[in-house]
Amino acid sequence: MLRQNWWKLLGVLIFGYVLVAGLLTPLKPGITDATPYTAVAGSSVDINVQGYNTHFEDGQSQVAFLKNRQQQVIQANSFRSTGNQSSVFSFDLPDMVDKDKARLTLVVNNSLDGSIILPDAITVTKGTGSISNSATWMPFDVGSLHVLEDFRFPYRNTLNETIRNTFFHVAIWFAMFILFIVGLIYSIKYLLKRNLRHDHIAAAFTEVGIIFGIVGLATGSIWAKYTWGTWWTDDVKLNMSAVAMLIYFAYSILRLSVKDIDSKARLSSAYNIFSFAVLIPLIFVLPRMTDSLHPGNGGNPALGGEDLENSLRVVFYPAVIGLTLIGVWMSTLVYRIGILKDQWINDL
Amino acid sequence: MRILPAITRYIYLTILFLSIPLLSRAESTDFLRSTGKIYSVVGVILILFVVIVIYLFSLDRKVTRIEEQNFDNE
Repeated sequence: MLRQNWWKLLGVLIFGYVLVAGLLTPLKPGITDATPYTAVAGSSVDINVQGYNTHFEDGQSQVAFLKNRQQQVIQANSFRSTGNQSSVFSFDLPDMVDKDKARLTLVVNNSLDGSIILPDAITVTKGTGSISNSATWMPFDVGSLHVLEDFRFPYRNTLNETIRNTFFHVAIWFAMFILFIVGLIYSIKYLLKRNLRHDHIAAAFTEVGIIFGIVGLATGSIWAKYTWGTWWTDDVKLNMSAVAMLIYFAYSILRLSVKDIDSKARLSSAYNIFSFAVLIPLIFVLPRMTDSLHPGNGGNPALGGEDLENSLRVVFYPAVIGLTLIGVWMSTLVYRIGILKDQWINDL
Repeated sequence: MRILPAITRYIYLTILFLSIPLLSRAESTDFLRSTGKIYSVVGVILILFVVIVIYLFSLDRKVTRIEEQNFDNE
């Protein structure tokens, strides 16, 4: 029994690994908030920093910098930590000569956390304040900083722990896509060879793909609520994927509304090819032609460069494989039920 | 007549999809945010699990129906 069904077990085991590794791996430390957001050049400022998974108190040899766009830094004079998650860093801001305004990035480094970065933490404006301090911009010496070597998922502001949704929300769309491709291949096969079994396979894979698509929309909606602040927004990617799902709903309805088995198979196979041809521009082309909140759109392809760190890939690719195997398993069940139904109709 | 079960199935799924936000709105969103939003991950996994289980139940019902019909024939 195991000889034939090993891949079902494999799919479940891989998904189990995804659940464990995806939920138990901690996030890298990060800064959730740093106040004040503005300061005047030539004055002293105390930046109150709230950390996430940080060790402001336990970490050794802690330093903090404000970095400008020219890779120059000013170092904090002193810091006062009130616990591992909160600390106050004091900076003397030098006078600005050339610019009216500068957005500075906050970098905190210690032995336990490595470098924690908050981009554009504070906006410094040119002002009247002028303290005769020795504060000047220095070149940023990256070599002297501590590096965090642990296997951790990246910390992203506003994403926080929801970055783990990548393994479920994104992976289920990938799995759906693979199932739809299998369905498409068997629809074409049916039209070429007129073997009803091929039509049943296509129908089964497409039906499970639709279920995965519904999960994809629902999970995306939850993720949107906790990052964008709304369940649904007028974003191209969201609306177009909903339209794509409706087109596939119509496939299921079409299959059930035609009684004759042969014409049902012919019609739905042809429709499946068209719906897949519409799916590609709806999900992959249109969202990239305009701006979109959704990652992987507006010109920049997903999974390239910064969008997916290596630590996420270690869990994300298994998640796609595991969910696809589970989807194939579900599809084989639907296929067998379809065949049984046909046999029963023929027996009458 | 055979079109009806499919439509009701999608209606069920749509109701499920719409009711999850309503249910979770009853809880305090501040609690979810205070924990690094980890409960949104729990919600996502729950949806995945619940939908697959509901789908399994519908498959189960289909198999039962086929079994009953075969039994009636014999």
